[in-house]
Amino acid sequence: MNPITREERHWFLRCLAQGLYEYMGAAAPPVPVEGLLKHPPETFADDFGVVDMYSTLWDATFARPPNGQGSVFVRIDLPPAERRHALARELLSALITSRHGRAMGLVKFLMADLRDSAEFFARCLLVPEPLLQAFRTRGGQPEEFAEAFGLPDSAAALRWQETPV
Amino acid sequence: MSMQALNRLVARSIIDPTVLQAFGSGHIGEVLDDLDFSPEMRRALTGLEAESWSEFAIQAYRVVKASERPAVRVELPSPLEGLINEQPGKRSDYGQVA
Repeated sequence: MNPITREERHWFLRCLAQGLYEYMGAAAPPVPVEGLLKHPPETFADDFGVVDMYSTLWDATFARPPNGQGSVFVRIDLPPAERRHALARELLSALITSRHGRAMGLVKFLMADLRDSAEFFARCLLVPEPLLQAFRTRGGQPEEFAEAFGLPDSAAALRWQETPV
Repeated sequence: MSMQALNRLVARSIIDPTVLQAFGSGHIGEVLDDLDFSPEMRRALTGLEAESWSEFAIQAYRVVKASERPAVRVELPSPLEGLINEQPGKRSDYGQVA
């Protein structure tokens, strides 16, 4: 098989984010990503969790301790928007290393460009296409976008540009 | 429609293990039956050989994308139309001067 392109990888990530968004069933932003981690689909019962940490080294990181229960370890003092973005970003590592994710073959496809993949996935999960289209249809403006969806300004600017009007 | 169906299938696969089970057991065609694929597309997708579900998804994306017609564009007649290979005898308004 030919190497996967960035466009193909992003399409795949967008679909994965859409699947999780549909599971959450959020009708309006902000998307409850922390709720998803605390109450995951059955498939990811051993892979999702949130642990608050005091740290000055990183905002959040996914880890799987020896007991096998995966969790996102997140800095307790992060502002809400940054916390949501960090949780969504690390969620991809939880998916990739989960039993279901490994069975899907996610490791081979996503580990090589993990940083780009995780950032893109987080933006798609926090701003699903249907909610973004609804926001635009209602006349939502770019300057209101970050606050409405509860994500950092930098991520909001990228997401606004990624999806055509 | 095929791309929308494929999007739905891949989205579903992240939370529904039955998709992966069907793929692993060689019965992905049964899952495709429930989606809005044309019979030709369904045959093409069922015939894909992939080592993993992710690889199948990417191959399917390539197949579906390649099958999509480009966006309909307004097609104006070429300015050359009517000037090339025109046989005088075939023109109904061709007149002959004595």
